[in-house]
Amino acid sequence: MIENFLAGSAALFGDPFTIGIFVFGVIGGMLFGAIPGVSMLTLAAILLPFTAALEPAQGVMLFAVIYCTGTYGGAITAILFNIPGSAENAPTAFDGYPMTQNGQSGKAVGAAVLCSAIGGIASSLIMMAATEPLANWAIRNIGPPEIFALVFFGLAVASSIGARTIWKGWMSVLIGLLIATVGQDPVGGINRYNFGMVDLAAGIAFVPAILGFFAVSEIFVQAEKKASGKYKAPKVSMTFPSWLELWMHKVAVLRSIIVGFLCGILPGIGATLAAFMSYGEAVRWSKTPEEFGKGKLEGVISAETANNAATGAAMIPLLALGLPGGALTAMMVAVFQMHDLQPGPLVFMLSPDLIWIVFAAMFYANLSILVIGLVETKTILNLLKIPFQFLAPLILMLATTGAYIGRGLVLDVIVMFLAGIFGYLLRRSGFSIPGIVLGLILGKIGEQNFAQGMQMVHYDLGTYFSRPICAFLIAAGVLTLATSLYRAFKSTKASA
Amino acid sequence: MGHLTRAHLLEALVFLLIVVAFYGFSFEFNQPIEIYRYGATAWPRVVIGCLLFATLGNIWFQYFNGSLSQGTIGSSNDEADLSDPKTIRRMTVVLLTPIVFAWLLKPVGIYFSAPFFIAAIIWLFGERRWKAIVIMTVFIYLLFIGLFLVILNAPLPQGNISPFYDFSAWILTMNAKLQGI
Repeated sequence: MIENFLAGSAALFGDPFTIGIFVFGVIGGMLFGAIPGVSMLTLAAILLPFTAALEPAQGVMLFAVIYCTGTYGGAITAILFNIPGSAENAPTAFDGYPMTQNGQSGKAVGAAVLCSAIGGIASSLIMMAATEPLANWAIRNIGPPEIFALVFFGLAVASSIGARTIWKGWMSVLIGLLIATVGQDPVGGINRYNFGMVDLAAGIAFVPAILGFFAVSEIFVQAEKKASGKYKAPKVSMTFPSWLELWMHKVAVLRSIIVGFLCGILPGIGATLAAFMSYGEAVRWSKTPEEFGKGKLEGVISAETANNAATGAAMIPLLALGLPGGALTAMMVAVFQMHDLQPGPLVFMLSPDLIWIVFAAMFYANLSILVIGLVETKTILNLLKIPFQFLAPLILMLATTGAYIGRGLVLDVIVMFLAGIFGYLLRRSGFSIPGIVLGLILGKIGEQNFAQGMQMVHYDLGTYFSRPICAFLIAAGVLTLATSLYRAFKSTKASA
Repeated sequence: MGHLTRAHLLEALVFLLIVVAFYGFSFEFNQPIEIYRYGATAWPRVVIGCLLFATLGNIWFQYFNGSLSQGTIGSSNDEADLSDPKTIRRMTVVLLTPIVFAWLLKPVGIYFSAPFFIAAIIWLFGERRWKAIVIMTVFIYLLFIGLFLVILNAPLPQGNISPFYDFSAWILTMNAKLQGI
């Protein structure tokens, strides 16, 4: 492994052009992740056509680096503006944004920098050691029924997070699932809910929906506060967390690395579930769970360690099985295909050099977060000093461009603003925006794998329970839902 | 009526309308798929059924508890306060302005409409100093052009009606000349 890693490092740093691509990916990922309204996905979407001119290893490596640094960059906007760069940064905002409002933005961002780097580096090392054995295990044990069960479990967990009541948490996830049914059905390609519009046949694109639900709705919330005279400018602070404070959270960091890696490794899910689950586990294990959501450092640490720990793990299903874990890894499949390559077990045999350049680049990208992140953070914190009336149009313009350039459709801009209005109204009524987005992202994956799974087991649902991993995940999901339902009934009875 | 307010009833009505509309429209694609027994409607209808259950559960909870929070993880107790008609009027304009901007992108293009949109948002967010509005509009517009047109060469909507299309074409020609230098 060490020899392969050194060979990958030598290939990475032996060519000035490859170094240039690496540096561009590191800075671009961080910057686009940290600019409110755009994300690493925007940068990746812009760069995708240009990767055709690069070597396959350079193209895949660029996207892997953007994935690592962009996941960290998205935490900055989540903490400072309550605008997660992507869905995996959503739990970071739960405590990060209240910390900003309490004048502890520096502490939250500092923790995000350090924990993202720790989670990412640990994940890269495990990824290098375990990719091949885990890929072999996953090929034998993970099929469509397991992926469906995992989606079901992930949605069950997400429904209990972020909404004012459990009922509204469920409604949020279900609205996301319903939006995901727009477009062609994943089995027969039959158009659903497209109302005769050709552009809707491909469904609602993730990027405009995420931009609308998070970025645009946040602008509207701030506009309402301005209009009603309740707006409070966020307080800027440059105080980073001390080493002692971080040492006190060592268990949370370790737990989040494990949760993040295990969630990230499972195909079809990526870092989003990892961040949500890690945050949920932090609350479950805490002696003061009531403090979460009000500006607790452990919330930021858990979410950020886990989502970066998942980046390395998410490469395993991508490289070993050809299954993308999220939007960015899906774009990486496109990079492979542009070069007539197909990610999967054969890549390990046919292009080992490519694999090890990507692994080495991800390790160094996570290390860069630690070095560049701390320097960059102080500059980014100054964004808070810009009055919101000037920041809002900038965010909206960036979001408009980000929504448009993905597919070149004005419809996506309209969808983004409609999602913004819908998101604003739902947020102000106590619904969970991360729940909606998770439902939207996982809906199609869930349906596709359910259909494939049912065809596989000849429509015998009982077979699902004879598969141990599948049975365990479904049982855990049902238990989560049953516990929520029990709590919902109990709290209603107590009030009545 | 218990603790139910007009806002709760409106919320329930909207969700029930969504349920009814999506169920109704599901008959438009209710056709068999040869390779899949459950067809294209099974998944959406299960989701619709669950949404109906959750909506009824939500009404039932609100009947007994009103807007009380159950304190789920990461939830916010911050609720919209739209009791002031002036705030409602202003928020209506704030919500509609981006929709109008998006609707104008196809015929007018982003290069012409963006400065007006930027200025409108600055004004709607409470800035009343005309000098500040003009300076910041120009600054944001140039930043946007510099990043997406000059540096990234991103294809953006140019409009399809004269003279807006001509204006976009002029901007693109200027950019091409700049790239040539």
